[in-house]
Amino acid sequence: MSANLQRGYNALKEVLDAPIASYFSSCVHCGLCAEACMFYTESGNPKYTPIHKLEPLRRVWFQEATLAGKLMRLVGLAKPVTDELLAEWSPLVYDSCSLCGRCSMVCPVGNDIAYMVRKLREGMAASGNAPEGLVGASKRTVAIGSPMGVKWPAVQAQIRHVQKDTGLTVPVDQAGVEYLVLMSSMEIMNYPEYLAALTRIFHKAGASWTLASDAFEATNSGIQIGASDIAREIVMRIVNAAERLQVGTVVSPECGHAFTAIRWEGPNLAGRTFGFKVKHILEVLDELRRSGRLRTKGNKSIPMTYHDPCQIARRGGVVDQPRTLLQMVASDVKEMDEHGAMNWCCGGGGGVSANERAEPLKLKAFARKKAQIEQTGVKTLVTACANCRITLEEGLEHYGMNITVLGLTELIAESLDDETTSADGGAA
Amino acid sequence: MNTVETLGEILRRRGVSRRGFMKYCATTASLMALPPAMAETIAARLEKASRPSVIWLSFQECTGCTESMTRSHTPTLEGLILETVSLDYHHTLQAASGEGAEQAREQAMTANAGKYLLVVDGSIPMGDPGYSTIAGMSNVDMLLDAAKNAAAVIAVGSCAAFGGIPKAAPNPTGAVAVSSLVKDKPVINVPGCPPIPVVITGVLAHFLTFGGLPELDHLGRPRVFYGESIHDRCYRRPFYDRGLFAETFDDEGARKGWCLFKLGCKGPVTYNACATTKWNQGTSFPIQSGHGCIGCSEPDFWDLGGFYQALSMPTQKLGKVAGAAIAGGTIAGIAMAAHNRSMKASAKQSHERVSTDELEKGE
Repeated sequence: MSANLQRGYNALKEVLDAPIASYFSSCVHCGLCAEACMFYTESGNPKYTPIHKLEPLRRVWFQEATLAGKLMRLVGLAKPVTDELLAEWSPLVYDSCSLCGRCSMVCPVGNDIAYMVRKLREGMAASGNAPEGLVGASKRTVAIGSPMGVKWPAVQAQIRHVQKDTGLTVPVDQAGVEYLVLMSSMEIMNYPEYLAALTRIFHKAGASWTLASDAFEATNSGIQIGASDIAREIVMRIVNAAERLQVGTVVSPECGHAFTAIRWEGPNLAGRTFGFKVKHILEVLDELRRSGRLRTKGNKSIPMTYHDPCQIARRGGVVDQPRTLLQMVASDVKEMDEHGAMNWCCGGGGGVSANERAEPLKLKAFARKKAQIEQTGVKTLVTACANCRITLEEGLEHYGMNITVLGLTELIAESLDDETTSADGGAA
Repeated sequence: MNTVETLGEILRRRGVSRRGFMKYCATTASLMALPPAMAETIAARLEKASRPSVIWLSFQECTGCTESMTRSHTPTLEGLILETVSLDYHHTLQAASGEGAEQAREQAMTANAGKYLLVVDGSIPMGDPGYSTIAGMSNVDMLLDAAKNAAAVIAVGSCAAFGGIPKAAPNPTGAVAVSSLVKDKPVINVPGCPPIPVVITGVLAHFLTFGGLPELDHLGRPRVFYGESIHDRCYRRPFYDRGLFAETFDDEGARKGWCLFKLGCKGPVTYNACATTKWNQGTSFPIQSGHGCIGCSEPDFWDLGGFYQALSMPTQKLGKVAGAAIAGGTIAGIAMAAHNRSMKASAKQSHERVSTDELEKGE
């Protein structure tokens, strides 16, 4: 066994737990998960059946944790886990899975397949079988601070622009505030509107907030590549900053997996509960709306539809908030046939968009989303995840579709009621 | 006996009208799931068929199968069809006895070698030949001797087909089914305790019409009669689907004719034609008269738990066995869990921290 394989095999033994054992024992091989996965439906290739993507993990479970498997391994009948097997499965585990979790929703015996793919990636990453694109992103996040290589000075430059455009102050490293705002590199590089929108919304709401110069990046390549050691290091940057600044709530940006990383995986990686709350920006906006601190005026009459980011809706439970918020500013919202918890993924989540090798497959899988958008007949697509947004834009471009993609937060900011100011007064 | 006269001639001589005959053929065709047009073919073939020789052997049995056929159907066409085969040996029905009876059997076997039908009811004791003998000959010897030159063997009744009640635990005589002894001939199982008469004559009619044997299921039963479960064709099925069950034999549900599943009806696992053809000239069948099916056409029906125990209940008294199984399972489970925990703990112990350097394959 090579050192790489040794490390990967050990990692797979480490991730085996009661859910995985019960999932593999319960699988009835019905194949329903295939129909739930756009990598299968759009390619028609049965190797993209979600449960099949787990074969290496299944083998480790079978021969390490079941009586029959242990006996078969003793007499050499168990199918071995080899370097070749892991290399062969790398495209299945990384390129053809966006961890969207749609397969987990349809499984008749309740197997959380996405959960298992995430666990299998631990072994793939440890054995050096992660795709180059994700390895690069992880290296940049650890060494530089962000997967796209964005450093604090780039954020500072953006802050200066925002301050100039809005005439408002963007607070940095302020202790004791209500919200610590995180961003994704994508928002810093491609969608600067997000920070401007947030600055204006928080100002209107009279909310105190801050950016942290040592923890501005919310994305977590460690989660995507499946290396908990790296994921923990990245999460702890945020945890340490939030606890040092003693903020009440950490606000996850318009990014899907960043929410999963800090909200769901974070405490498990840290091994303790946090001294602060974690909320997605849509949850925060909806709370401000309910308490009357977020008011809008006017109503856009152009038809729109909302794309649910998987990690926010299906895996994160934030389904109603974006709809309530969108109703505030748009009068003609058409839902896609399957939306909310059963929405179809854009195809770029779970590290797929950072993985150049997966590009052709990702565009093929996008045909599913394309059909959904076409069915609504609208020309404006709203979403709440910068990664979904870039994937959608690429897909629409590839298929020559003339459709505008907007972030929900900036759409809200555009319709802020300028006449009334919050009773609490200005920013902190 | 005269074997030249055809079935058609015999039926006419006995005063069976053409209309009555056609009606029988149509019923047989529909019963055997053949297209309606086949009724004419059946009629034409039956008209011309000459009486095949039939040798009927009875071993460990209660004569219920013979009773079922002769008594309840004597005046019907099925009865006539049976009479019109040349029943050359049937030790319950024949007048001859002793040497003469055995001679008739041997004569028929020689004269019709390779062409006669061998019908067997009753199971064969393998424990000691003395448990059942005929004219000093053990059942097994007689069966193998008669089967040697038979065209086909029809095992009538659950005893001949599956061993039946003689084979019920603890099977004191070592009873076995016909099919476990006759291996080189087609054996058609027509199980039931007793089987439905029209099913027996239907198989005979099929043999006369098509000269071959009907399609059989995995238990050697003609699919046409045993293809569907009692449950699937039961008129009480809608109550089952709606979850309406009789809980006792005298409750409101029983009076309203609800499903008898909870009272032990074996309909869901029993394949037979009772619910379609019914008994006593189509009068009724057990479920219609208020009692659950006991599953008599299935192998080992006598040992599959109580007749009044719902199918969802365990078929045996669990008591000690269950206790031991639970204890054993628990111990094995704890041992497995401990072993797996230590496996995981040691995996954690030998965890090598994954830094970004390890993400790329070395070497």
